[in-house]
Amino acid sequence: MTSSKLPLSIAGSAAYKKQPGTLSIPRDRTSVKWTPLDAGSSVSIAMSHITNFQQTPETAAKVILKFYEKQSETAEAVAHTFTFDSPSNPRGEANAIKDVLTPILAATKAAAAANANDKPKGAGSASAAMAIASAVASKPTSGTARWYDDTQLKIDIELQQSLMKKDPALNRTYMESRRTKPDTISDSQFNTQFWSTRTNVLRAHAVETNQKRGQYNVLSAVKPRQVDGELKMNISAEQVQLIFSQHPLVKRVYDENVPKLNEMDFWSRFFLSRLFKKLKGERINPDTDATDPTFDRYLEASNDMGPSQRLLSSHIPHIIDLQGNEENQGGSKDISGNRQDWTMRPTDVTKIPIVRTLNSLSEKIMAHVAPSDVDPADPIGMDEGTFNSLALRDLQGDEQENRIMLNIKEQSRFFSSEKSEISAEAASYASQVPREVLSELQIDIDPSLMNEDDTGRYELRTAIGVMEDSDSEDDGEAKVAHVGSKASLMDAQKQIFEGIVARRSEMDGSSAELSLSGLSQRSFDRLVLTHATTTEFLHHFWVIFLSGDPDRAGELAKMVETLERAMDRINAVATDAEKERNELIISEKQRIKDLWEQTGKKKRFDPNSVGGGEKVVREMMEPTIKTLQKAAREYRKALVAEGIDTT
Amino acid sequence: MNAVDGSDHYEKEVEGKSSITGPSPSLLVIVIDTNPHAWALLSRTLPLSKAIANILVFINAHLAINSANQVAVVASHSHRAVWLYPRPPPSSEDVDMEDHASNLDNANKYRPFALIEDFLITSLRNLISTTTELDISSTTTTQMAGALTLALSYINKASLSFSDTSSSSKPATNSLETSDIPTGLQSRILVVSVSGDLAHQYIPIMNTTFAAQRLRIPIDILKLAGDTVFLQQASDATKGIYMQLRNPQGLLQYLMMAFLPDQMSRKHLVAPTQEVVDFRAACFCHRRVVDVGFVCSICLSIFCSPPEGAICLTCSTHLALGDYGAKPAVIPRKKKKKRKLNGTDTGSGRGTPVPGE
Repeated sequence: MTSSKLPLSIAGSAAYKKQPGTLSIPRDRTSVKWTPLDAGSSVSIAMSHITNFQQTPETAAKVILKFYEKQSETAEAVAHTFTFDSPSNPRGEANAIKDVLTPILAATKAAAAANANDKPKGAGSASAAMAIASAVASKPTSGTARWYDDTQLKIDIELQQSLMKKDPALNRTYMESRRTKPDTISDSQFNTQFWSTRTNVLRAHAVETNQKRGQYNVLSAVKPRQVDGELKMNISAEQVQLIFSQHPLVKRVYDENVPKLNEMDFWSRFFLSRLFKKLKGERINPDTDATDPTFDRYLEASNDMGPSQRLLSSHIPHIIDLQGNEENQGGSKDISGNRQDWTMRPTDVTKIPIVRTLNSLSEKIMAHVAPSDVDPADPIGMDEGTFNSLALRDLQGDEQENRIMLNIKEQSRFFSSEKSEISAEAASYASQVPREVLSELQIDIDPSLMNEDDTGRYELRTAIGVMEDSDSEDDGEAKVAHVGSKASLMDAQKQIFEGIVARRSEMDGSSAELSLSGLSQRSFDRLVLTHATTTEFLHHFWVIFLSGDPDRAGELAKMVETLERAMDRINAVATDAEKERNELIISEKQRIKDLWEQTGKKKRFDPNSVGGGEKVVREMMEPTIKTLQKAAREYRKALVAEGIDTT
Repeated sequence: MNAVDGSDHYEKEVEGKSSITGPSPSLLVIVIDTNPHAWALLSRTLPLSKAIANILVFINAHLAINSANQVAVVASHSHRAVWLYPRPPPSSEDVDMEDHASNLDNANKYRPFALIEDFLITSLRNLISTTTELDISSTTTTQMAGALTLALSYINKASLSFSDTSSSSKPATNSLETSDIPTGLQSRILVVSVSGDLAHQYIPIMNTTFAAQRLRIPIDILKLAGDTVFLQQASDATKGIYMQLRNPQGLLQYLMMAFLPDQMSRKHLVAPTQEVVDFRAACFCHRRVVDVGFVCSICLSIFCSPPEGAICLTCSTHLALGDYGAKPAVIPRKKKKKRKLNGTDTGSGRGTPVPGE
């Protein structure tokens, strides 16, 4: 384990395929690397790929290390042979490398084994902890690599299919886009393009589908039923496995009794026994619960592997390791002369409350879940959080500020630079003569002209210009509208009410019918789909257009064609909507005509009251149409820039 | 009057909660944009004097609602922001007051109204008469950011002193931080704006906006002329009312109908504010108002085009541009001339600068 505590890179000079070079293990301990002395390709073997390695015996003259590398599960193992040729100490260098490799490989294998049969990894000792650590670390590299690789996601058709099955809207967009794509684009090209903008969705889906259900409390899942006075139950082999792993005590009971007892008998009796109740966390009722000498013997036995065992597998920092401290001080004999510490000791097993049983069960179940927040780079035994919680902060000095320096420059420095943009208003201000502006303003607020009477009183009433009885104002003489005139006040009131009405309708929200603007649900759905596909193609267009990759220019030209067709599709929807509207108008007219013929009542009909039609479609699609035009314009501009006539 | 502004409802609420009686007073700070250029353009339809008269009526109405209501007026002039009312205590001569003593003695006028009217007009005349040609020829805009800052600091001071005086009768509540039923002084800002083009003050204006937002001070905008993106954002962010007047001559109607209610009453009213808000920002490098721009991923500075050498002007972070600006290839495999892209248009979809070494 010294190797993991001193992560130095280890190296020795060795020849590979008769070429001199250096064999080294980098500090991260994930690979073995050989670099040639002269120019040439280096060899790197990932730690997880090494299935085995051999070394020549200590007594042999030649020092040779041989690695067996297996790139994947199915691949053939490849042997790499390194001959250590250091003039001074070939054996020592080889041993150094071997010493580092041995525990790592052992841990990897242990982890692999643990993964394979899903056994609890609490086999104690440091190497198990190491195995867990490496298992956690190795998982992302193997299982999740797929999720991080965009290209992998893009070609995973199975994944895409399952995603589309889950998301019908996406499926529709996909189908519609595929149907309307230009024929010049192959299905696979289209596929790649379509998914290239959705890798995030694919990734989320892949992660979601790859999640596995964890362990559950198996004893409460098994429900024996009493049928005709006979106990019936279904228990699968898997459940038996789970019971054994969650409750080592049951395993012990099983081991000690099953040859004597029929297996079926064992389980049916177990599920009726007090032991079962206890393990499940139920209270034992001494009056009603049947006794069973076979199982009752174990009632007092510990279900745990024992706390000591559990604690061993999870490194207890020395500072809170009471047992360790006690041993250090001479144990119960108390040679230190202090009174015995009797606090925080486990009490009698029988007094352990039910909640403790449940807790320990949960703890066991959770132990099987690989923590998602573990940094593989953390030292084994004590993580950052533990360290921080144990650190005696009172004794430390002030913490150093650990912040990223941000050098903010005076903003006015680049503001004061030349006035680049002058708005229309600023321009019109600038066109005025300052002197005139000023004198005008001075005259305006001159006391003699500001509705002041001779005593210098300011008459607000006249100043605001509101004349209460000025109904005839407009008729009399065609006056110029003045400040506070009736007309202007009316207009102001109108604007305010308009604002209030608009605001209110916004707050109340619009009904579903209104949001369709008179289009039928069918036309609207079609429009939505057209919009989605158009947006999709636009997205592809910009991605290709801005990529600046000449190889994709052909693709780009096809994309432009598609965009042109997208416009046609919008037009088609508009035409159909118009047709729909006309039919509606005709039928409405007919209805009125019938009404007139029957009752002689005439009803006025305004065709404008019928919503929908081409106009509404165009209004709804206006932004999209604009973007289509913009795309076409940009493309043509680029073509012209290349000197190509686009007429 | 309480029934009109909805504060009777508030009164009941407060009585239920604490021993305070009477509706909580409100402080109205009016920022008048006195940019001479803009008023000169507007003088045909609405001269400054008429606008001031209308605003005075509005102020009187505000004061009449509650005897404890307060008002303050700041002028955002072309080269400085000036207090019109209350006048700053030092450095102001009392000569003017002597002149208008007769006005203050007018028995036909409520004295507080007369007082404000007198102060306001006197300070305004002072301001205009002290404005030199040089002052207005050097700039065409208005010091809106400065005026807003003055308004905010005044509000802060006023609410502090208010809670000091009233804390004896009730537990000290910080009106700025209680959320549901703010007690204490209700403050709001009304900006009477005439000039457009405030892009160069983008950052200070947004800073005051965010300060006001945090203090729950609505900024109402009454736009007589011009159009400024940032004042729209200011009123939107602070839940104030934005009105671009269609008919500036009906100013009084707008003031009385839309801007008179205080925050408490507004909760129960539908505000006639403009619903479309222009959320564009001004770039830090050329003060252009941009729809699509570049944002530094470290300090969030906005640029209209990638800064020189891809180094952020504000924080000097070296930014990576991705493959932004790659010239579109429209012809397969052929040598092409260099083509400069229009930076503001094609930036969409890619090229978010990422920090690099």
